[in-house]
Amino acid sequence: MATLDHPELRESLNILLKNARPRLERVLRNFEIPPEDAEDILQDAQLTLLYKWDKIRSPESWLVGTIKKKCIMYWRKRRGSLCEAVDTAILDLLAVPQAPAQERAELTCDLNRVLSRLSSRCRSLLKLRYGLGYGPTEVAEQMGYRTSSIRKVTNRCLAALTRQLLAVGFDREPEGEPQDG
Amino acid sequence: MDKHPDPTLLASFGRGLLPRRRNRDIVRHLLAQCESCCRMIAARALPPFRRGKTKESLRFTYDAAFAQAWQETERRQAALSAERSEAPELLRELMAQPADRRWTLATAGPRYHTWAFCELVLDAARELGFQDPSRAVDLSRLGVEIAGHLDAVFYGEARVNDLRARAWAGLGNAHRIRSDFRPAEEAFAKAERLLRKGTGDPLEKAHWLLLKSSLRGNQQRFREAFRLLDRVVAIGRKHTDGQLCGKALIMRGFLVGVANDPEAAIRYLAAGIRKVDPIFDPRLFMVAQHNLVLYLTESGHHQEALRLLESARPLYHQVGDQMGLLRLRWMEGKIATALGHFPAAEEILRGVRKELLERDLGFDAALLSLDLARIYAEQGRSAEMLRLAEEMIPMFQSRDIHREAFAALLVFQKAAEMERVTLGLIRNVSNYLQETRSARGLRSRESR
Repeated sequence: MATLDHPELRESLNILLKNARPRLERVLRNFEIPPEDAEDILQDAQLTLLYKWDKIRSPESWLVGTIKKKCIMYWRKRRGSLCEAVDTAILDLLAVPQAPAQERAELTCDLNRVLSRLSSRCRSLLKLRYGLGYGPTEVAEQMGYRTSSIRKVTNRCLAALTRQLLAVGFDREPEGEPQDG
Repeated sequence: MDKHPDPTLLASFGRGLLPRRRNRDIVRHLLAQCESCCRMIAARALPPFRRGKTKESLRFTYDAAFAQAWQETERRQAALSAERSEAPELLRELMAQPADRRWTLATAGPRYHTWAFCELVLDAARELGFQDPSRAVDLSRLGVEIAGHLDAVFYGEARVNDLRARAWAGLGNAHRIRSDFRPAEEAFAKAERLLRKGTGDPLEKAHWLLLKSSLRGNQQRFREAFRLLDRVVAIGRKHTDGQLCGKALIMRGFLVGVANDPEAAIRYLAAGIRKVDPIFDPRLFMVAQHNLVLYLTESGHHQEALRLLESARPLYHQVGDQMGLLRLRWMEGKIATALGHFPAAEEILRGVRKELLERDLGFDAALLSLDLARIYAEQGRSAEMLRLAEEMIPMFQSRDIHREAFAALLVFQKAAEMERVTLGLIRNVSNYLQETRSARGLRSRESR
């Protein structure tokens, strides 16, 4: 595709975005992207489209695909921040020195209730992490994982823990990812 | 249960924005199974397919998001258009300078550090790769350097990493064309690392895969090359990009041809040609047609080859590069030989050989000499055959040529001296030279 000059490129982009808007809006809505965050996603994808215009053969399908991918990344990032916050908070709660015995017992009981809903593998891993205060290398050694893969496994277990922690707020099993349209 | 945390705190918690003490209080509250707070956080931090849809999202309106995104895109588009209109003049100016001065200017001058200029340099380097591989490497290096100077804050870090990856992949390809496999491998590895820090654009990845498959083909690692091409086709299908699927088929055609399977090469090339749009990439279209004609000729489909060559002729002139036109004449000579039009074929081939030698393309000239040898063998002209064999040796001696290829030529020369050159021997030596060229990455048949 030849490089378009200023007015032609502007016009082509404008037409494309107008045509693609219903599909893009559907993707954003399916992924429940809050409007204040949708602007960043849209802008980033549109700018990439602009800079790569000459290289992209099917701009509309490229744009829709890119926005979908960005929506998935958006939630992955959000979930990552949440998991990190939950993990740090639990470690902090367990580390509070001289907490009254009853408070500590209640905390352990509540934590065990959530952990009991996880798979046995995640439960063992998180018990080593929270119950015995093991670091990632020690957890890997105890559970027979390679040090290089323990971070990934821990992150998966933290994601499961976070989901279970919030599970009382929603009552359905996870589905596949939403489809466009 | 403790009293509920403030909703704004819950919202910030869901985004991971709270200090540790606040986080701790909220998690303690959630551990006690507060349904309403869990629901509120789940809605903000878990994707809908993990928690079910919320009613709140039905009220989302995206008008402002679309309007603001367009405003910024429009602003950037004006800036990019300005860059694009300046870039050709900048390139002319730069290329008029001596090489060392060119490098100093391009690295030190911020006016060269634009997206449009960088793209233009990369495109120019790619074009040069087919005509002047050494200069293509120099220009590709310059492209890499310029890409390294782009303002990641202005253009976006991920996008700049994509362009840097493209620049490194281009350099890797330029090295491949020059047979320098080790630097080619290093450049492709660097490009791959940059792609990981890029936008994740699958088309950018496909571009890298295509070029890498070409390297693997030249290294005769065909299985790996085909695996890479399968991934390109998968990306092309997913994004309904017929052009990309066509490119992958054409590349597969080149590679199976190099692997000595002309019938399969014909199938893949013909399928690829049907998918690509000549307006979008006329050079690819021309090169694909050229190779198809070549394999049709080699498989004995001479009339079909001739018809195709006639229909492709305007494209050679449209693309207009001298090497392409030279290869067109070489192909005409080959077909004329195959059809038994020996005087015409000899005249064409001699003319092309002279031009190849003037361009210092000794390997191609030697290969073409074997086409001339076919004519002499068919006509029993042993004196000319001997003279031809003697002329071929210096073409090879003057450069760093694979020892086995040189040995094959000596066998040919010996046979000419003994007047024992047969068509079979010519075909074997020719195939052998083609293979050593691929194995060593000596410039392959027009592959991209």
